[in-house]
Amino acid sequence: MVVLETLGIMVILIALIGIIIGGVLIGFGVHFVPVGGAPAAMGQAPGIATGVAMLAAGAGLAGLFGGAWAAELGLLVALAAGAVGGGLMMAITQLMVNIIYIFGMGIPVASGKVAKDPITGDTQTEFKSQGTEGHGLPFVSYAGGVIGGMLGGLGGTLIYVMLLDVYLDALPLIYSTNKEAIYLVAVSLAGIFAVGMFLVNAVLAAYNITGTIEGPHDPKFKRFPRDIVASAIATAVTGIFALGLVLV
Amino acid sequence: MTVKVEVKEGGMPHNQILATGLIGSLVGIYITYLNNILGTDLLAFFGGIAATLALYWGSHTIKRLASYGIGTGVPSAGMIAFGSGVIGFLFATRFAIGGGILVPIIAVIAAAVIGAVAGVMANTILKMHIPVMVSALIEMSIVGALTLMGLSALVTGSFTFDALVTSRISFFGMELTTYESSLIGGSIIAVLFLLGGIAIQHPFNACLGPSWEQDRMLMLALECGFLSMIPAAVISFAFISMAAATISFVVAIVGWFYTYYRYIELARRDAAFWLDAKPIKEPEAGH
Repeated sequence: MVVLETLGIMVILIALIGIIIGGVLIGFGVHFVPVGGAPAAMGQAPGIATGVAMLAAGAGLAGLFGGAWAAELGLLVALAAGAVGGGLMMAITQLMVNIIYIFGMGIPVASGKVAKDPITGDTQTEFKSQGTEGHGLPFVSYAGGVIGGMLGGLGGTLIYVMLLDVYLDALPLIYSTNKEAIYLVAVSLAGIFAVGMFLVNAVLAAYNITGTIEGPHDPKFKRFPRDIVASAIATAVTGIFALGLVLV
Repeated sequence: MTVKVEVKEGGMPHNQILATGLIGSLVGIYITYLNNILGTDLLAFFGGIAATLALYWGSHTIKRLASYGIGTGVPSAGMIAFGSGVIGFLFATRFAIGGGILVPIIAVIAAAVIGAVAGVMANTILKMHIPVMVSALIEMSIVGALTLMGLSALVTGSFTFDALVTSRISFFGMELTTYESSLIGGSIIAVLFLLGGIAIQHPFNACLGPSWEQDRMLMLALECGFLSMIPAAVISFAFISMAAATISFVVAIVGWFYTYYRYIELARRDAAFWLDAKPIKEPEAGH
């Protein structure tokens, strides 16, 4: 209880709110990412040929590493670095996906859900092969993927920074040592908890999407309010356990 | 990933597998607790056995959940299991009463709470409406926590928070306590996280389909458990005595070799016959 008396309940509460916001950002961001699953591997559906949880984890963890690297430079810089890391990972992945589709498999890019690209206005139907849902990553899916990666990286970094600040204040009190000696333990704990919460939120969002999604123009995207509620509650519970670690 | 997985029931009922995994895993973890009483670390390898038994149970839980066509790939189930399990496990390690006698029980309870919340969210708010969703996510979260606890006990010989964040190094004959080169300070926990996360989802992912057989998948789960135990045993050379780490390593190698040999036998039993077909003969010239 010495930790709670020294830090004060407000610090813990603010950290918990930050963690919940981070979890909601992750859950919301996953809905932007174009996921094609197995059909995309055969060029029969738009999106990246893997599952929702794996793709979200890749983007989010890339963002988390970027943000964690910049954690010493202040909250805003860390969050920006996290967002850029996640967005960059998605941008590079999607560019390579499109290059392989277009130049490797000879497939033009076409969406199956909309007649015109909502951003560029390009027509889609005449490029879509018969019997498929569409293929490749049209511009709107690409933009959605980058936005999703940025939101995921931002959320993951926010969780990490919030936990790191609390641990850096609390662990030296528990072990009566200085911050430098225990720094790596705090980093590792905050990191593994951020990864854990990230995966829980990514899988819940995957359950909400059920399978494949093309991006923000997909009708399934409208389901995101449900996931925000689920993400907030699940992250609150995991956040209480993660913060409770130093309070018991 | 909407793959239609055929529901095929195996021989052993799920509750029997659950009991084997839960009790066996807890017994294995409590045997490593005897290290504190006996003042040794030779019993560390029981942590690996505990993790293997937890994974054995977890692979069958994933099979039960994925049989409902949840719309996401099987690997995501392993990720949510360990994502929620790691939080319950690390939270529980702080309850160091009596050298941590309550830690495994508290880990099971904490992981069950997190799994239950995720399961209820998925079933009600996300409208999944899958009968086994809540129980499966509770089970998988407990499996994640117990696997990590078993592997941590294997690596450090103990599972209390103090043992996971501190390590003793001798510096010119003086014993110093350091935080950097501990299981958590050195981020070994992240390695254990993925060793378990891959091992829990691989058995069903590799064996699913119309030719799924329960005994073959469970044997593969044991093989994955021992395979994850090998790198963990190698890591343990840095934390526990040479003798204890060698025992862990030998047990892991022997266990992996035996289970892999048995798995290949079962795979051959279930595989289609290999026909000794001859190439088509070319018609001779002149006909």
